[in-house]
Amino acid sequence: MLLNITTFMGHLHPLIVHLPIGFLLLAILFELVSYLNRFKELKVAVPFTLFLGFVTATLASVFGYLLSLSGDYDPAILSYHKIAGIALAFVSGLLFLFTTRPFKKIVAANRRLFSATFVILFFLVNYTGHLGGTLTHGSDYLSLDLISGKASQKFLKVEEALLFEDVVLPLLNKRCAQCHREGKMKGELSVQTFAGLMKGGKSGLSVVGGNLETSELYKRIILDLSNEKHMPADGKTPLTAGETSIIKWWIEKGMATKGIKIGELKGADEIKTSAAQFLGLGESSLTTVGISNSESKINPEIPSVINLGLIDSLRNQGLNVRIMLHNPVMLDITLPPGSGSKINLIKGNLKRVAKNVIWLNLSNNGLSDTDLDFLPLMTNLEKLRLEKNPVTDQIIKELLGLNHLEALNLNETRITGVCIEKLKQMPNLKRVYSWKIK
Amino acid sequence: MSDNHHESFRLHSPEFNQLNKRLDRRNFLTKTSLGLGALALGSLIGNRVLGKVAGSVTHEPVTATLEEEILRAIPHFAPKAKRVVYLFMSGGPSQFETFDYKPKLAGMFGQPLPDSVRQGQRLTAMSANQSVFPMVPSAYQFSQHGESQTWISELLPHTAQVVDDLCIIKSIHSEAINHDPAITFFQTGNQLPGRPSIGSWVSYGLGSDNKNLPTFIVLVSKNAVKDQPLYSRLWGNGFLPSEHQGVQFRAGKDPVLFLDNPEGYDGKDRKEMLEYLSKLNTMQNEPYGDPEVQARISQYEMAYRMQTSVPEVMDTSDEPDEVFELYGPDSRDPGTYAANCILARKLLEKDVKFVQLYHQGWDHHGGLPAGMKKQCKDTDQATAALIKDLKRRGLLEDTLVIWGGEFGRTVYSQGKLQTNDYGRDHHPRCFTMWMAGAGVKPGISYGETDDFSYNIVKNPVHVHDFQATLMHLMGVDHERLTFRFQGRRYRLTDVQGNVVRDILS
Repeated sequence: MLLNITTFMGHLHPLIVHLPIGFLLLAILFELVSYLNRFKELKVAVPFTLFLGFVTATLASVFGYLLSLSGDYDPAILSYHKIAGIALAFVSGLLFLFTTRPFKKIVAANRRLFSATFVILFFLVNYTGHLGGTLTHGSDYLSLDLISGKASQKFLKVEEALLFEDVVLPLLNKRCAQCHREGKMKGELSVQTFAGLMKGGKSGLSVVGGNLETSELYKRIILDLSNEKHMPADGKTPLTAGETSIIKWWIEKGMATKGIKIGELKGADEIKTSAAQFLGLGESSLTTVGISNSESKINPEIPSVINLGLIDSLRNQGLNVRIMLHNPVMLDITLPPGSGSKINLIKGNLKRVAKNVIWLNLSNNGLSDTDLDFLPLMTNLEKLRLEKNPVTDQIIKELLGLNHLEALNLNETRITGVCIEKLKQMPNLKRVYSWKIK
Repeated sequence: MSDNHHESFRLHSPEFNQLNKRLDRRNFLTKTSLGLGALALGSLIGNRVLGKVAGSVTHEPVTATLEEEILRAIPHFAPKAKRVVYLFMSGGPSQFETFDYKPKLAGMFGQPLPDSVRQGQRLTAMSANQSVFPMVPSAYQFSQHGESQTWISELLPHTAQVVDDLCIIKSIHSEAINHDPAITFFQTGNQLPGRPSIGSWVSYGLGSDNKNLPTFIVLVSKNAVKDQPLYSRLWGNGFLPSEHQGVQFRAGKDPVLFLDNPEGYDGKDRKEMLEYLSKLNTMQNEPYGDPEVQARISQYEMAYRMQTSVPEVMDTSDEPDEVFELYGPDSRDPGTYAANCILARKLLEKDVKFVQLYHQGWDHHGGLPAGMKKQCKDTDQATAALIKDLKRRGLLEDTLVIWGGEFGRTVYSQGKLQTNDYGRDHHPRCFTMWMAGAGVKPGISYGETDDFSYNIVKNPVHVHDFQATLMHLMGVDHERLTFRFQGRRYRLTDVQGNVVRDILS
């Protein structure tokens, strides 16, 4: 329990620190502008503002100390930050003390000297803040490279990009370096340089060329999301399938480094689309979805929303509607056998959900070719059961546009071998059932 | 006597005093807070609307939201399988005479089992006291079949014909060493009785696709040696609402017990009677809030619908001869394994979600060669026919077929080893199962055992892994389908189980 409270308060440090920064800068500003006649009234506000700065700086120091207990920070920068922070609280307290009654006369006598110490305070605020920022965000977080960075992209084609320098390293920097970098080193790992990657971390070697099974980094990013060792940790956005495939390929191929272009690498085709997407080199945003493992092979054209009222009304019309997936909304619809007579009534609603229908079972319903004129709208259909219906070879017209169709059941229909032959031109159709056809 | 129906039912023994006090407090707070709210809102909106709102709040069961949320999240993945048929070979079929081909054993007839292989593993009390453990190779020959060139025993000539549709897992392992705990473990994920069966979890999590038939139907072969018992708790619902329990269909004129109208009753006013009964039950349920009353109401309604749907589905008279020939001669005799396989196909055609067949008689401690021959003869043709039949009808697309027992058998002979006869004891450390159909890679063998089929050397698959994979194929994350009972949440795979992704297509 105690541990939780300290961690919680520690996490408040980055929030609290902005209070002393604000108060102290305000105090400094008041002190300095009060030399101008127009603002001389502000002089009286200095002690109060200074006091607030002192209190919040002390609070921030305490919270900061609690945060430092969690480890994971570069010890050198941390100790400077700690000393500077405590000094800041101390100096602001001391300055406040000089504004109180016993010391007022001394200050009045040396007003300019007193103001000069405010300038020191100003530098101390900046110095402490800079170190704190470096600890949290890294030294290159706010660098001029960011502004000039866009101009430096020198390649237009993915083949010209360097695999390690332009793709892998920036990818790791983007996704992992918030924690795993010089200065923070969670798990004693930094992914910012090739040397850091090779050195590995607390759990062992992070990458081993050609050997995925001993590459801790790869193992961690492909763990189940629910696994507490999964990286990125704590519910941060996991790597996309494309990003994972780039890292996998890079490790498998013995970690090509030192200026090798993607175009020069053999068999790099499999990561080209992912790399292009990462680099923002247009062309292939649609084609990338298909790659990656079998889990995420979900057709991107399936709408992710549906009007729930439509599902209800389909059910009220006697259809079995099974939700196969919530996002995107995939439906498995069955028209119970012997209810073909109401096909004209339900067509309207079927058309409205057409893009969401993935499996459709219309078997044994006495449906003819013309009854099925809504099929071409169901462009995302993967499995279609038309068995035991009096459909003929004419049905092919309705089917040829169904580019995602994998399995088609035409058992006990009136189709002929001609139709089966024509169906072979459909790109994804793998299984056609034609048992007991005429 | 005045009627007390408006009062909540309370148990007034001392143990319940604390609970009653809490209930009183909750009642008081609910009533007053709603009352105050009602006063404030009464001037703003109509009383009719308000009454409805207040009513829905007070009658909501406390735990409903958690369970509902869990169910609402399903399916977690796009399912590959819509239905399951699980052919349970009860008793523990030997892997040596069926699927796990061990050519090196051929030269080791009678040699003692090396200690380095056994590694001090516990044995059952039936063979632990044997002074020697003579190893015995399969009495039956193996040959390669199909495009996959899989080794299959000569006892399974029909299964060999469909081997390219099977995903044979040779590295299943269990923890239980005796029948009851081992079957209970397979069916419920726990060796002790009391948890829901896989079919009940599936029914609870995914609901029904056919309102006229139960979601979980069980068929037990009548033509098997009943060497080990089967008990209806194996298809029981455990702590899940009881409408999810497996319903056993029997052969003969009474397929489901107590479903027919009693003699002398024509059943014309049955519907009216059930409506009244349902009203009474609902009235009773209000003070108790017992989900089992709800279950009972839905079961009565289901039974009513089954009065017409069951005779229809049990009637195989319109099946052509060709079907009976496919499933083998037994299939004309209702209640046999082969007839049950036809029935299973009919149920699957009607979108019954989980059909489980049991065939007993695989427990061959002695006389194994003859016993295995009989068992295989009784089941092989119909099993293969089921695969072929489902496949040609296009149903293997979205139906998962599972074949397997509760454990395997030992490499050494139990009792005296004779030249032509031997027995094998229980062996949970490795055995063979197969899956086929929806979402499973066809024509592969997964996992490997050592030369003695005693230990697993590659890709072990634990019972919980098998269960997790089954649920995954149905679109359910086995870690997220839970049910709270007696203060904790339970799931089929308890705290274990990994989906075997290598066998998914």
